[in-house]
Formats: sequence, structure tokens, C-alpha cells
Amino acid sequence: MARSRKRADSLFPGARGVGYAVVIVICTLTVIPLAYMISLSLQSDGEILAGDPVLWPAHLHFDNYQRLFGEVPYARFFVNSVVMAGVITIAHLVFDPIAGYAFAKFRFPLRRTLFVVVLSTLMIPFFVRMIPVYVLFSQLGWLNSYQGLIVPFLCDAYGIFLMRQFLSTLPDELIDAGRADGAGELRIFWRIVLPQAKPALAVLALFTFVFQWNNFLWPLLATSTTDMRTMPVGLTLFNQEFFTQWNLTAAGSVVLFVPTAVLFFFTQRYLVRGVALTGLK
Amino acid sequence: MRRRQARTAFAFLAPALLFFALLFFYPLARELYTSLFTGAAADRYTGLGNYTKAFGDPVARHAFWVTVQYGLGVVVGAIVLGLVLAVILNQRMRGRAVFRGILLVPYLTSIAIVGLLWRNILDPDTGVLNRVLHALGAPEQNWLAEHPLATIVCIAVWQQVGYTTVLFLAGLQGIPELYYEAAAVDGASVWHRFRHVTLPLLAPTTLFVSVIGVISAMQEFALPYLVTQGGPNNASDLYVYQVWKTAFNFRDFGYASALSYLLLIVILVLSLIQLKVGQRGEK
Repeated sequence: MARSRKRADSLFPGARGVGYAVVIVICTLTVIPLAYMISLSLQSDGEILAGDPVLWPAHLHFDNYQRLFGEVPYARFFVNSVVMAGVITIAHLVFDPIAGYAFAKFRFPLRRTLFVVVLSTLMIPFFVRMIPVYVLFSQLGWLNSYQGLIVPFLCDAYGIFLMRQFLSTLPDELIDAGRADGAGELRIFWRIVLPQAKPALAVLALFTFVFQWNNFLWPLLATSTTDMRTMPVGLTLFNQEFFTQWNLTAAGSVVLFVPTAVLFFFTQRYLVRGVALTGLK
Repeated sequence: MRRRQARTAFAFLAPALLFFALLFFYPLARELYTSLFTGAAADRYTGLGNYTKAFGDPVARHAFWVTVQYGLGVVVGAIVLGLVLAVILNQRMRGRAVFRGILLVPYLTSIAIVGLLWRNILDPDTGVLNRVLHALGAPEQNWLAEHPLATIVCIAVWQQVGYTTVLFLAGLQGIPELYYEAAAVDGASVWHRFRHVTLPLLAPTTLFVSVIGVISAMQEFALPYLVTQGGPNNASDLYVYQVWKTAFNFRDFGYASALSYLLLIVILVLSLIQLKVGQRGEK
């Protein structure tokens, strides 16, 4: 780290100033739309509907947030988002490490083949699964239900790969000691392996949660009634199903945005490392 | 002992393998099967009819080329900006982590927010941007109507540039300082060093970012759905949005499945190119 910084000191004379200018301009362009979203969420109906947009409201209408949960079933959308992202995250925390552990620490026939099969699912994009899974779930009667929202994302190859890489570095002696003590394999996994994998599990949980919290395409397709919408979908339907009031849409956006922003603030280092490591999709 | 190990391993793998079988490979096969049928219930066998139809369908062909332009635009934009930002942020400077954090925020923001927000800001009549331009004495914009594709490319670059910056930063940190010292001893200019040391050594990162970027951009659905509805005049009618409309608006599941498969083949070819070139780069 220190070395790379020393090296980059001498990019060219005056580079520092130009660099600062470029970065500050781009960061400003990054922040302004999001700041405007917060401003919009605090504007009165009058300011929104006058057809003459303002940068900042004359009075801060925090009551927009009350209306969001009162006049619109946004609380329900919020709960649905928590259930969807929460259950999927928990499922990943069980299924990804247990499969990763099997690939990392067990010898069995077809090990390489099965690993390639798992990795090959990375090349199957969601749009290919979208239609058949929709048809399948409509036959099962799972559309517009929690299982319909959750089941397509119970585990994935990224998570299994991440856990395998992490768990291969775990010393075999640890597992063998557990076996010598007569502990069952599941107990070894649960009591010995998983606690060692906490850093990797944290990255996995973070990525899975953020991705599913923001997921848009599948919840849009898989839900059809107000009580099953998640926040990203409910938000976009404001304009069609509820209001054309941008202040409430913006308030809803802020409610959707804040949890990820807070998570990001506290876990930035892990996230940045994780992005660089696996490439969040 | 060995057999017990194998049994345990299979038991541990069972949930994941079952999941992939039922929710990846079965849908993959079923999609292929459905693509051979036509009609509202996808029950009339048509052989490769949907595929021949796709090749002759001006709407599908148009959507594909629009998507290629979109993918290239997003990738080139995000790479150029990301590289510039990474080179700057790789210097010793105050607030690096803060800048990097700010740049990543849109990447972690739901596309639903991104789409709605930009649609609001850019609206020629009620959007705040024209209000600002007017106050500054600048001509007002109507980009969503006049340059819809370029506009959604810019929105996507806005969202993704932090991601490419972080990937390039990781790549830059991996370049041994030795190379720069050698170049400095040889009296290489800044541009020379960038051109002949940084760029070649970043080539694997650039390849990874471009292919991953094109692959994910070619699957974009939400921006046309939320911002432009594919319009005006289908100018921003991205492929997956077209697949969506074919399946869920026009109820032609067979044709939509065939269209999906065709894009899947393009994406698989891109993935394989990356695997091959990437492996060569490692040697």
C-alpha cells in the first residue's frame, strides 16, 4: 500500500490539483441527484405539482414520510422487502458454505465435474430463467407469494465459490480433531467450520442482502397484488397504482435507500474488498 | 472411511445441487423446449420457426443492435472514467477512501430508484434540470426524447463508474513498483509510463471489466422499462425489455423463449472468449 502510494506521487507536476478537481467534480455529479431525491421527499404537494420544480423546499415536509406509511401501503412493501431479502440471505448463509465446505474439504467421486457444473450456472443469466420459472410457479400456484419471491434465489455459485476458496485455507487438523472427539459431520460443520468462516460469511451476507433488497425484475414479474409488492416494485407503481406524486415516490426511495447506505457506511472496507474480489453483479 | 466421506459430501451438496437442477438446468431445458412452440399457450409445434422468425424480424434485429450499442457505450464510458478515477485515486491524496465510497453509492442503489430519479430530473417540462439550465442561461434539454439511448447509457455509467473504479484500483495496486522505477530510470515521460507500463499491465483487468460489463449491460431491462419505455420510436428498445414485452405483454412465450436463447448464445460466446483470453493472459 505504502509503496504504491510513493510510486504514484510523481504522476506529473500539478497532477495533484487536476486530480482533485476531476474527482471532486465527478463525486459532486454522483451526489447531487441523490441529494435532490432527499429534497424532493421533503417538498409539499404544491411545490411538486406547480410544474415549476424547486431545488429545495420552502418548508421541510417530514409528514410526507407519515403519509407514505399511512395513505400508501408502504409499510407492507417494507415488510415484504425485509422478508424477501432476509430469508434469501439466511438461505445463502446455510446452503453456500455447506456446499463450499464439501468442495473444499472432502474427497469424493465426480468432485471436479460437480464443481464445474455449479460454476457453469454463473453463465446462465436471469433473463433465461425468467420465463420458465414464471410458468413453473404459475402452475405451482406460487406466483404472488413469499415462496415465489424467495425460492429462485436460495443459493448461488458465487457464494459457493467464495466459501470454497475461504474454507480451503482452513487447517485440516481442526476438522480431524472434531472427528477424533466423535462429533458428527453436521456438528463439525456447525460448531467448528462455520465460526472460522465469519469474515467470508459477512461478505456473503452483505452482498446477498443488498442485491436482493434492490432486486427489481423478479418481484415485478412474480407479484401482482398490492400486499405482495416489495419496495422497489411498489415504488415504481406509485405513478400507476397510487399517486403521481413525486414527493411520496422520493420519500419511498429514501426509505429504500437508507438501509443500504447505512450498511455500506459501516462495512465499506469489506464491500470494497468483496467487489474487487468477486465482482458483485 | 472414504465412503463415509463421500456420503457426507453428497449430503452437504444435495441442497445446492437440487436447487441448481430445479431452478437453473430445468428452466434452461424448458426454455429450449418452449422455444419450439408457438401460439398464446405455446402449444403448437413449429420446429425452428421461432428462430427463423427472429432472424427476419426487424423489431428483434433492431433491439439487438440497440443493445450492442448500449453495451459498448456503457462499457467504454465506465472504463474510461473508471480508469481515470482509479489512476487519480491511486496517488497519495487526502480523502481517497471517502471519494471511493461516494463513487460506489449509486452502484448499491436500487435500479428502481436510479431509473425513477433520472426520469424525474430529466423530464423536459417538470424536471429540475431544465429549471437549473434556464437559471444559468443555458439552452434547455430534451435528451430523453432526442437522444434516448445515449441518455440511458449515461445513467448506467453514472451508476456503474464506482464499480469499475474499484476494480481498476485493485488492478493498479497489483502492478509492482519495479516497473515504474525501471521506466523512470529510462527517463520515460508520464504519458509513456502510462501507455507502456500501466495500460499493458492493466490489460487483464480491462478485459475482465469489459466482458463482464458488456454481458451485464446486454441484460439491462429496468432502464428502458422505467425511463424510456423503449421509446421514442423504439430507439432505446433493449433486447431483454423486448423479450419481456413479447412474453408478458404479447403472450408469445414460444417466441420470447427463442429470443432469450439467441441472446444466451451471444453471452456464452462472450464468456468463453473471456475464459480463453484470460487463461492465456495468466501464462
